[in-house]
Amino acid sequence: MEMLLMGICMSIFGFGIACAAFGSAVKPRALAEPKPEPLKAPAPARFFTSEITGTTVLLPRVPIEALLLQIENHVRLEQAAAESFLALPSSAQLHSRTVSPFVN
Amino acid sequence: MTNGTPDLLQGLTQADVDQTLALGTAISLKGGDELFRLGDKADCLYVVSRGRVNLTLPMHVRGNEQDVLVEERVPGQTVGWSALTPPYRFTLRATAPLATEVIALSRTALRDHFLLHPEVGCAVSLNLAAVIGQRLQLFQAMWLREMERMVELRCA
Repeated sequence: MEMLLMGICMSIFGFGIACAAFGSAVKPRALAEPKPEPLKAPAPARFFTSEITGTTVLLPRVPIEALLLQIENHVRLEQAAAESFLALPSSAQLHSRTVSPFVN
Repeated sequence: MTNGTPDLLQGLTQADVDQTLALGTAISLKGGDELFRLGDKADCLYVVSRGRVNLTLPMHVRGNEQDVLVEERVPGQTVGWSALTPPYRFTLRATAPLATEVIALSRTALRDHFLLHPEVGCAVSLNLAAVIGQRLQLFQAMWLREMERMVELRCA
């Protein structure tokens, strides 16, 4: 009889432990939800124009008439350089620098 | 112009030069006048006899379209060879920055004259090829120089 009672107690105890283990296994965990990463600012678009902007704004802001004169002057100098190359073709002539503010 | 003869008529006898120029019509331009516009039908070739002709292309500068000088033509030089090459449309705008005179030679008049005088047609064609070739080489060199700078800027 004592052995029977002891067996019943042990069974109940074991069943309790099993229930506790099962409960802890299926209980939704209070997980630390992964925090969404803060949204990064979108990378600046790398179009041709935006890249050039940073390198070409070398000249001071001049009136449009003055700028057009500078462009004309640049074209004349480049044309003269190209004509020098055609008169005496050489790599040095082709790459010769002019005094144009656009290239200095 | 060499020896007073326009580039286009180099190698011809003076009689042939005079006869060919007689086919044309003299046009006087004041400073600021337009000879032709980009995209216009090109029916005439022009030989600059006095003054200067500026050839420009539209370029976007600070958000606005501006005519930017790409070439200048002086007395003796030829303007508007688009009149002899299909699709017969001007690819530049031509203006006179100062009082200028040009001789307009129509394509049809030149063709008719060349049929009657093949030796003149041959010489003019060769001279025209020289004008076009020189311009091509010039712009090829200018393009390469700009290309080189662009590569320097981008890969620096």
